[in-house]
Amino acid sequence: MSVTGPAIHIAASGALTAFGDEASTLAALLAGRSALRLLPVHGSEGGDLVPLALCEGHAYEETVLPSWLPHIRKLAAQIPGDLPWGTARYPVFVTSSNFGVGHLHAFRRRGDPAHLAYGTPFDCVDQLVTALGWGPDVTTLSHACVSAHLGLLQASRVLAAGLADSALVFSFDFISPFVAGGFHALKILNADLPAPYQDRATGAIGLGDGAAFAVLTRDRGDFAIAAQCLHNEMHHFTANQADGAGFSACLANLPDTGRRLWIKGHGTGTLNAGRLEATALAHRFPGAPLVSWKGALGHTLGSCGLVELALAIGAMRAGRAPGVIGASAPGFTDTVAFNSIDLAAFDGVVCTSNAFGGAHAALLLHHA
Amino acid sequence: MPSAARTPRSFSTMLERWITALHTEDAGLEEPAATRDRLKDRFPKNATRRMSQLGLLVGTALEPLQPGYDDALIYASAYAETRALEGYLDSFPNPSPTLFQTSIHPSAVQQSLITSQRPIRQFLPLTGGVHLPAQALLTAFLAGSPRVILCGGEERGTWLLDHGRSSDRTFAFALTLASEPVTGSLARVTLDFSDESPHASCDFPLPVFFDHLHNRRPVDACVLPGRRLRIEWTP
Repeated sequence: MSVTGPAIHIAASGALTAFGDEASTLAALLAGRSALRLLPVHGSEGGDLVPLALCEGHAYEETVLPSWLPHIRKLAAQIPGDLPWGTARYPVFVTSSNFGVGHLHAFRRRGDPAHLAYGTPFDCVDQLVTALGWGPDVTTLSHACVSAHLGLLQASRVLAAGLADSALVFSFDFISPFVAGGFHALKILNADLPAPYQDRATGAIGLGDGAAFAVLTRDRGDFAIAAQCLHNEMHHFTANQADGAGFSACLANLPDTGRRLWIKGHGTGTLNAGRLEATALAHRFPGAPLVSWKGALGHTLGSCGLVELALAIGAMRAGRAPGVIGASAPGFTDTVAFNSIDLAAFDGVVCTSNAFGGAHAALLLHHA
Repeated sequence: MPSAARTPRSFSTMLERWITALHTEDAGLEEPAATRDRLKDRFPKNATRRMSQLGLLVGTALEPLQPGYDDALIYASAYAETRALEGYLDSFPNPSPTLFQTSIHPSAVQQSLITSQRPIRQFLPLTGGVHLPAQALLTAFLAGSPRVILCGGEERGTWLLDHGRSSDRTFAFALTLASEPVTGSLARVTLDFSDESPHASCDFPLPVFFDHLHNRRPVDACVLPGRRLRIEWTP
């Protein structure tokens, strides 16, 4: 059973990555480039080198006025329509995993209380609301790396209930020593570059900056979200059920539409989760080519679902989707696409994200 | 890219649900060790050792409701895992993987449901400020499941509290919402959408919402500009 009702249209979308906007990002991905660079995990305090993809001008260690704020402003300027976002008929749904928590790290390390202005999730969102001129009707959802999917889902529900005319979903996560230090401590962020879905001896992830938006409506826009699904294993904090049942349970809720689908998977570069994910996707959608772009962008965490959705839309408009970057055969399944895909033969995409706690999210997108 | 045209119109809608069960935990200024000792018998042996204070309290409030796979679970917390966050930040330059994991929203609920191996389809965790209850209630009202569980809470910080970046008290709650009244319903809850006061300041943060639940006090308040919350308790 899908957790959504009627199809919701996407009137506009945009993304920001370490490569720039979605057009620059797609061009880089199609060229097989990676934005990941090996940097000290603790920044100026040193530490092991780890792969990070930072936006140009974004200081990895937080500055009092966030160096990622200009990127947010630039992305927000792309939101069309001059609508009164944050008012009752035009609500905003903000999603992130880290918000401005890097500022708490900076405060604790350097002691400047000015950092506290961005320290809590709602302080950080309030700062964005002020900076972008939104009203108070802003709902904030945070569920690690499936956060963006939840924003899309709740925005869809508000529209389906007739409580809004348009809804803005806005996601962001910018990397800092706070989050990189955590993943490094968990021993999944190391000096290796990620190779999503590649059957190799060791796994690794990279982390990247990301932000994106989507304007949802009931009936305007050339793409439609036909279904959205969730599943939470609640099996283990950092591991999935060993038989992959969690992946299958989420995907089982996507409807069979008869469409010719390609898959934009989660694919961070971890071994066990990648193998389970690829296997479950190949079983649920036999023959559907599977790609992940985190080998080039890094894992953009709470924003990844929306960043990669905006890129998938751009790919469908352009008629070609980038393949898996940073990896090569053998893949976990023969459906893993290491080269770019001509989308002329496809008329829909399944986009998936996964998170700590065995959280799974998936959506089905096609031309309206 | 096409743009979404503005279609202004006035509207008035009221959504209605019924609270069918409610559990609250008002720990106030209690220290985590005292909470752990007080609640340790509610959880499997050794499970509480790595649970946060908020995880213990949210888990205790949730347990009687027996969350099922088809329930929708909505979680609201402005500050969430404050103590784990403080500990993680203090563990640098040798960051603790356990505290990193525990500090991530929505760890408190996951601690409880992972301990009891209780999968759930819909889990929507929210954070926010003075309008958090309004947003969490709307999320719960639209979740579409026959039974919806809304839970939430905060834990009192230490050095983050000194800087005004944590809750000054510890509490948790969990309640079930039904779309139809049932025998024994505790309260009727309505969200009234109106254009009449769109610019009014309508602060209604989570601790205020909690106090109304804990004391079974009625609510008739603007909780977001243009949105009024009413809770009428069954006598």
